Amino acid sequence: MAETPIKARKRLDLKTPSKPLSSPSFLPPQTPNTQTPSRHFIPPSIESTPTRRSSRRLSLHSDDLNLTPEKPIKQTTPKTLAKSPKTPKSTRKSKLSSTQTEKVSTQEPIHPKSPALSEKRKRKSGDGLGNAVKTRARAQNVPKKRVYYKKVVFDGCEFVVGDDVYVKRRENASSDDEDPEVEECRVCFRGGRGLMIECDDCLGGFHLKCLKPPLKEVPEDDWTCGFCEAKKLGKEVQLPMPPKGKKRARTLREKLLSSDLWAARIESIWKEVDRTYWFRAHWYMIPEETAAGRQPHNLRRELYRTNDFADAEANDPLSLLLQMESVIRHCYVMSPKEFAKARNEGDDVFFCEYEYDIRWHSFKRLAEINDEEEDKDSDDDDDSASDEDWKSTKDPVSESEEDTDFEDEIEKKKPRGPSSQELAANSRKGRIFGLQKIGTKSIPKHVRCHKQTELERAKQTLLLATLPKSLPCRDREMEEISTFIKGAICDDQCLGRCLYIHGVPGTGKTMSVLAVMRSLKSELDSGSIKPYSFVEINGLKLATAENIYRVIYEALSGHRVSWKKALHFLNERFSEGKQVGKGVNKPCILLIDELDLLVTRNQSVLYNILDWPTRPNSKLIVIGIANTMDLPEKLLPRISSRMGIHRLCFGPYTYQQLQEIIMSRLKGIDAFDKQAVEFASRKVAAISGDARRALEICRRAAEIADYRVKNQSSPADTTSVGKTNVGMTDVEAAIQEMFQAPHIQVIRNSSKMGKIFLAGMVHELYKTGMAETTFEKLAFAVSCFCTSNGEQFPGCDTLLRVGCKLGECRIIICEPGSRHRLQKLQLNFPSDDVAFALKDCQELPWLAKYL
Amino acid sequence: MASFDDNTQFVIGMLRECGLAHKTIIIVLDEFHRFAQGKQRLLYSLLDAMQSVTSQAVVIGISCRLDADQLLEKRVRSRLSHRKLLFCPPSKEELDRLLECLLSLPVSSSLPQSYIVEFNKELRKILADKKFKDTIDTLLSSDSTVDQILRFLFLSVSSMDLKTGILSVENFMTAVVRMNRQPKLECTKDCSILELYILVCMKRLEMREQVSYNFNSIMKEYKAIHDSFQTPDYYARNVCIRAFEHLLQCELISFMDNRRNNQSIEFRPVKLLISPYELHQGLKLNQSCPTILQKLMDQIGKRS
Repeated sequence: MAETPIKARKRLDLKTPSKPLSSPSFLPPQTPNTQTPSRHFIPPSIESTPTRRSSRRLSLHSDDLNLTPEKPIKQTTPKTLAKSPKTPKSTRKSKLSSTQTEKVSTQEPIHPKSPALSEKRKRKSGDGLGNAVKTRARAQNVPKKRVYYKKVVFDGCEFVVGDDVYVKRRENASSDDEDPEVEECRVCFRGGRGLMIECDDCLGGFHLKCLKPPLKEVPEDDWTCGFCEAKKLGKEVQLPMPPKGKKRARTLREKLLSSDLWAARIESIWKEVDRTYWFRAHWYMIPEETAAGRQPHNLRRELYRTNDFADAEANDPLSLLLQMESVIRHCYVMSPKEFAKARNEGDDVFFCEYEYDIRWHSFKRLAEINDEEEDKDSDDDDDSASDEDWKSTKDPVSESEEDTDFEDEIEKKKPRGPSSQELAANSRKGRIFGLQKIGTKSIPKHVRCHKQTELERAKQTLLLATLPKSLPCRDREMEEISTFIKGAICDDQCLGRCLYIHGVPGTGKTMSVLAVMRSLKSELDSGSIKPYSFVEINGLKLATAENIYRVIYEALSGHRVSWKKALHFLNERFSEGKQVGKGVNKPCILLIDELDLLVTRNQSVLYNILDWPTRPNSKLIVIGIANTMDLPEKLLPRISSRMGIHRLCFGPYTYQQLQEIIMSRLKGIDAFDKQAVEFASRKVAAISGDARRALEICRRAAEIADYRVKNQSSPADTTSVGKTNVGMTDVEAAIQEMFQAPHIQVIRNSSKMGKIFLAGMVHELYKTGMAETTFEKLAFAVSCFCTSNGEQFPGCDTLLRVGCKLGECRIIICEPGSRHRLQKLQLNFPSDDVAFALKDCQELPWLAKYL
Repeated sequence: MASFDDNTQFVIGMLRECGLAHKTIIIVLDEFHRFAQGKQRLLYSLLDAMQSVTSQAVVIGISCRLDADQLLEKRVRSRLSHRKLLFCPPSKEELDRLLECLLSLPVSSSLPQSYIVEFNKELRKILADKKFKDTIDTLLSSDSTVDQILRFLFLSVSSMDLKTGILSVENFMTAVVRMNRQPKLECTKDCSILELYILVCMKRLEMREQVSYNFNSIMKEYKAIHDSFQTPDYYARNVCIRAFEHLLQCELISFMDNRRNNQSIEFRPVKLLISPYELHQGLKLNQSCPTILQKLMDQIGKRS
């Protein structure tokens, strides 16, 4: 490090690299450590205006989280942003920079001497707007589907997945006409020519010669410019004014740090069918844009990576920016380790140590995994000292075929990463990119873009997954839920209450509550009710019942703690009214699905959760959903007295209701006969009243009809006269398929010995009147059957094997075969069924006389 | 080691990502009934995830149990789409086609043409043979699954005469004998005289309606037989214990229950695991069996 070339020192933030000098082993920069931002938590407050980017994201996310009760600032589309930034923060920022410029005291004459430092960049023009997309030879035969790339040469510059880039903030290009590659000297306002040094405070560049007194060489230690030093001492400083008529050109770095530009990390790149290039990225944020604002420990070049996706697929107003065209050029965001090692990456070097959670405004140190990857990338950089070399090492023409590209990439990584440990895929919590390549089965294009027939549309809309446009038949219940919730939260006191909802599966319990919550959300947006938070928990998706505390606490505060700690905090919040975080305690609506799963042995979890609402100032409303009607009665009296008062029953749907549900889904699709729907709904209503079942039957019926229609039309392509609608017969067939028990068919298809075995079982049952028999008795009966009817008795061991086979598919219930003679056997189906199945067997007509 | 929560989140995230990338995932749960144990969290989460538009996935459960869907909890069953496919063993006609298809050599193989022709000709003769058909019938009378047939064919082909390289009916007949072995009977055939004594003693005890007996009572019976018939074979007690242990290992006899594990084996109640019919057969087949035992068994047979 000591003999770092001058060029390298020039653009280096001297604060950090000076640290490793003292200690031979690497230590991460201490500034951020002293005040660990990961603990530094600023909860979302109503007052604080969220920063632009986050506000936009929050408004998108607010469906499931009611965190921004106030309406997000309306300035979403990039186009509406005027030339000069409007939000207070950035005006302040730009003012700051302008004041700096104003206060220039004419200081030094210019010393244009040494030749310009060569910035080794191929790309000359800053913005690639409107440029023709130059790619590979491949471009001639345009593939009809979306193609994913690992690297793309765009406008003469190569972008690889995982690269960090500057992204234009506005669509209509730059506020400054040119994007200088080289920063201008703060004193002489000329770029290049001679060594420049960077102030560690204001990041301004200065020619060594322009300084007062001029420096001979770049100092080893931290260096701050005279202006900053003077400012620190409390003096009024006048920064040099630029010569009249010359506007100070700002570099991209400056623009980024004054939030006129954005930086992002590319996660995947693809080409759309229309030959435009898109990418998906993680945004970076400057400290000013976080809810906490710039902290004293933040370095000048520090950025935060957000957990915020810029995703073109989500209907995001930002997604326009995600065309490759809005990418300006590379920047280099580095982990502390690399940043310390950084040499001459130029002006576009940034430092990133933490991830910023835009939802919770919390910080998290970037995980090891990412470091691992970045290390690999940085190795690339280090191996070949300059950018240019690095680029030339990669073969620029090779990416004609995407697959080869990937293999290439893999080969490269293999030898390099001996140290990288195997990481479980789930350590990233499903945030995985490049799924386009994994071995799943791709859905063929012709299937995806196939014009749907009426039947297919019917099938589509009958899917359980499709959310119906309207929810018929549960108006009364929804009304009740909605008045319950509103009554609870609109009270000034916000008295906590409990509601217990029960009903058999498939009667729309969860769906109704969620629909009510959606309508409440829209009311919240229109401002007619007070803000609240909504937490939804499914008892079956918790690992243990105690984990519910953790989930609730995480939903309320964004922190993950152990359940004991969470219980402690929640107790404080609900019983003592202590605030969680900084914000005011909003009423909390807690929806617990499958409540019966929370019943532990001493029922403490349920007790705690149902006790909180009764406390004053708890502002907690609990809605529990379960299948059993008498759950409160089964619980301890102190719990049932807290829960059992307010109940709501979702009865099984009647056939009219089922019919209405199906018809409302099929509205506008002429595929079903009316009687067919009625038949299906009557059948289901008679059995369970489960709407899911009814929908499934109809869907299956539609499939059967579809199959029938296709079969008809394929042999004779002429106008086939077959009915295209789903009729009674199709529904009948679907019901048959679904409700018919397969055991009779299995018995009929079993082997000869199996049949004799079962007949023996029935015979024994009639003879003794006992359901249970032993293998010894049965073997005796079977051997009698065989000898008296001219069959060969296969031996006890074979018979045992036959019995075990029947036991495996549960036609009989039996003990393990090792019990042999003592094995206990019992029929699993009514003996009448077995007798019915065996009666008219052609193979063994004599069986009938034993049944 | 990720927790259940993390893994669920991961799976759901993956499903969403794959759905966005227009990829389908097919999840096959073999031995489906095994997943229906406990709280069925996995099935619930998985089937619930199937019901969102973004996940383009299919769950296929495979089970040998007919009542697999009855094992599911109500709320899980409601989320199942109740499509059932039953796989039945092949019928007679299908079987004939299957056999011919499996056994005949393909014409376009690398083997010499004349050999293929001869092999297939011989095979057709075998398939039409009455004896072969009977063999197949005996095989399938106990178990008519494809799995069983494949094992049988493998056994038959591996016993093929390598000199001629042509299958014969005998190959199939030996194979069927090997398939339908009677392990318990064969075990008694190989028993030592002392072991046979013990088995017969146990049988006699059972005939006397003695519900529970242990090694000591067997030894008493053994001594009684020795005293009344003056048999030449009388062994010391510790030798008898060895024989007794061997019988336990062969699973010709077993303990009544596993409860009193810590007791020494002499005192634990035992049971005969072989039927009198099989024992009788075994004694007949055993060459070294003393006549007195056969006589005793005949008595028992007559009495019952």
